[in-house]
Amino acid sequence: MNYINRRDFLKMGVTAGSLLALSGNSNMITRVFGKTETSQKIIILGFDGMDPRLVKAWMDEGKLPAFRKLQSQGTFTPLRTSTPPQSPVAWSNFTTGMNAGGHGIYDFTHRDPENYIPIFSATESSQSGKTLSLGNYKFPLSGGKVTNLRKGKAFWQILEEYDIPATIFKIPSNYPPVPTKQRTISGMNTPDMLGSYGIFNYYTTESSKIDQDIGGGRIHEVYVIGNRVESKLSGPINTFKKDDPETSIDFKVFVDPVNPVAKIAIQDQEFILKEGEWSSWKKLNFSLIPTQSVSGICKFFLKQIRPEFKLYISPINIDPGDAALPISTPENYAKELEEKFGSFYTQGLPGDFKALNNEILDDREFLEQDDMVLEERLKMFDYELARFDSGVLFYYLSSTDQRQHMFWRYIDKDNPFYDPSLATEYKDTIQNIYIEADKMLDKALKKADKNTIIMVVSDHGFSPFRRAFNANTWLLENGYHSLINKRRQGESNLFLNTDWSRSKAYAYGLNGLYINEKGRESEGIVAIGAEKENLIREIAKKLENYIDPKTGNRAIYRAYVAKDIYSGLCVDQAPDIILGFNKGYRISWSSPLGRITKEIVEDNKAKWSGDHCVAPDIVPGIFFMNRKINSQFPALYDMAPTILKIFGIDTPQNMTGKPII
Amino acid sequence: MWTFNSIINKIFDILFLPFQSMNPWIGMIFISLLTGLLMLLVFRYTSNQEGIKRTKNRIKAHLLEMRLFSDNMRISLKAQGNILLANIKYISHSAKPLLFMIIPLILVLIQVNFWFGYSSLKPGEPVVLKVKLENDYNPLEVDLNIAPSSGILIETLPLRIEEENEINWRISPLKKGVYNLEIYIDGQKVSKQVSVAQTSLSKISPKKLKGSFLDGLFFPLEAPIKKSSPIKSIEISYPDKSLPLFGINFHWLIAFFGLSIILGFAFKGVFGVEI
Repeated sequence: MNYINRRDFLKMGVTAGSLLALSGNSNMITRVFGKTETSQKIIILGFDGMDPRLVKAWMDEGKLPAFRKLQSQGTFTPLRTSTPPQSPVAWSNFTTGMNAGGHGIYDFTHRDPENYIPIFSATESSQSGKTLSLGNYKFPLSGGKVTNLRKGKAFWQILEEYDIPATIFKIPSNYPPVPTKQRTISGMNTPDMLGSYGIFNYYTTESSKIDQDIGGGRIHEVYVIGNRVESKLSGPINTFKKDDPETSIDFKVFVDPVNPVAKIAIQDQEFILKEGEWSSWKKLNFSLIPTQSVSGICKFFLKQIRPEFKLYISPINIDPGDAALPISTPENYAKELEEKFGSFYTQGLPGDFKALNNEILDDREFLEQDDMVLEERLKMFDYELARFDSGVLFYYLSSTDQRQHMFWRYIDKDNPFYDPSLATEYKDTIQNIYIEADKMLDKALKKADKNTIIMVVSDHGFSPFRRAFNANTWLLENGYHSLINKRRQGESNLFLNTDWSRSKAYAYGLNGLYINEKGRESEGIVAIGAEKENLIREIAKKLENYIDPKTGNRAIYRAYVAKDIYSGLCVDQAPDIILGFNKGYRISWSSPLGRITKEIVEDNKAKWSGDHCVAPDIVPGIFFMNRKINSQFPALYDMAPTILKIFGIDTPQNMTGKPII
Repeated sequence: MWTFNSIINKIFDILFLPFQSMNPWIGMIFISLLTGLLMLLVFRYTSNQEGIKRTKNRIKAHLLEMRLFSDNMRISLKAQGNILLANIKYISHSAKPLLFMIIPLILVLIQVNFWFGYSSLKPGEPVVLKVKLENDYNPLEVDLNIAPSSGILIETLPLRIEEENEINWRISPLKKGVYNLEIYIDGQKVSKQVSVAQTSLSKISPKKLKGSFLDGLFFPLEAPIKKSSPIKSIEISYPDKSLPLFGINFHWLIAFFGLSIILGFAFKGVFGVEI
């Protein structure tokens, strides 16, 4: 055995001290993986929802000079999107080079045929199977698990096999990130700390004036007593306690009797906000048991102090500095970014459109919030771009999509709720985010050398959402769906009023329609084979012929039969029919939740006024590249084979797409 | 008290002067080493070294006795009893040096806390400034103003909290430096030091109080508030600081005691100290 004598100990101490002195406070950034130099480099900018018509129009007006420059260097063309053109589906096509039949992502949600309950289609969470109970506590004997349900290899996993490094920033449908040595951080589908796509909290003295039944948020009634408000902020469920109760943190708000300022005291933090002001990120620890807690981050917005008190708290995001759930590869990549930039939005859809849709935030407040998201993203983009030296850098921006969803009503004069006075103020909102994207592209172009390929991709374009189609009501009216109690139509969600023994079909998700198939659905009645096939064709044909009585237009542009359009190992998981809505139409707000309203088509009254869940031909994405391509109609699933080919890698057999260079 | 505090403050200013631009761990190793050596010397000259040596030998002898006569319960039990008595004696030998060490150690701990316990503010990062009033004064009625400062921006109107008898502001540093915020109340001026990101190691005064003995002892960095002032205390919520090492953040107290003990033991032979 080797003993350390006192002299050695002192020497070691001096050496350690010297190292500390030399290291200062700098963080050493090491290469994560792969070759230090590749013959080609690719920078891919993924601008969610960027529409080719708008890009062309604003390029022609000279407002997008970097896009114009890129076009002059190679290619600009519409990009065929996925069916249906939803981001999780479309970006999965991009990632895997397959259509949905191969990667198995058909919608944000699908249903469990056992009980007709909606479930997330991209991820599956399971808690520990066995627990040890002690009093009110239970201790898991094995770990819980979150699984990414997307099938097929991501292109950066294939690049890894060839020692080509990649940084993949926030690409949708990559939660939890697939196993890789590459640097990746998850984007869309990453949940908040409550396990949802984002639940905000709103504390107000006028809760009675607000619809309590809003999706994506909780309304709390509070009272201002002695210039003080007290309440609780709910956190993740406590799986260490029996019945899995929610954790919560008490907080107090002290308001000045006259001045429009308030102090929020939560855990060991105190901060002052002026009326109408947002806080920076606040870290909170939710205690599970005395030795265990989980960390989350949120922002506070003091909307109003008087006459009514209104405080908004953002969804509690996973803390990137101490992530309770897997959000990056390697695991410390999220922490590295947090140390460099402070806390940042980790939630998949960071713009709180639900708060705007439900009038908790107004247009200006939503934009302030989304500007904070954008500011974070732009800083990190500069950082990643500056250190990019080989392989692939993919960088994703969500604000292009979310702002089009929420502000299309200001550029669409045919929107039933178009407001010309507000349009003057907000009509440039969409154009402005395109200009921000153009600035990002300009930076990428400046970074590029002769061996750098620049690609700009969007997953789909956009279309107005004026009229909402209740697919389940249509099925009911056409005899394909039956209710237990006709008088209670429209009162319940999740098909609680459905008589499954007499229902042949039902719609779930944003574009999916399912046959109530015998042997697949727990109460299925339609036999597989000719009966089902004929029924699918019959429903598809009737849907395509349906005319909206108000406008005289077809609501459904195409009703796609799944087996006709998909290929791959996951085709059997597809909805039987994919609803390709016509321009101006989309599924209603209640139909995806299994609520069967009275009207088949109704005006879309929401601020969410632009959409893309229509027929794919109506909303192609964009494709720019500083090289010429050999395809007239490139598709999203061609991107992965193209990236691989640039590095001399053959297209894997299971990919649907083909290289376009 | 303030004169005494000024002297102590000055000593620590000089001690830490060479380390202010270095990694804080270097300063921590230095002060731990210095404290360890100081404690060793105090121990060396105030303890009964012969008595300690004798007692430790006795403990060793009784341990040997236990091992040799492990099959004889009577002797084993007696040896255990003797070990217990020897331990009490050993503690009694350590009591005197502890009495000598306790006061300087408290003074060191208080100072080290203000050098390593708080992070200085960063430009653009707002914090809460709290002015607590004496019970006879109502925050809604006093005439209290903060003079504009070149380095500190007062970002909000005063937030008056009657139930806490205090007035809060959000302040935001504009640039690096040490500033004195001047607070005027009922014609009297009270100043509070604000430290903004100067060096990696700098002393921070989070709170200024009236001059009771204990307040002066535990918050020694700034001159006390005058007894006649309506202000009881002024506080700035500086962020806590920890010492990161290989991805783990250490509280300064753990680092300080750990290093002092390790270094003290490492040098005990050099100084011929029996512990």
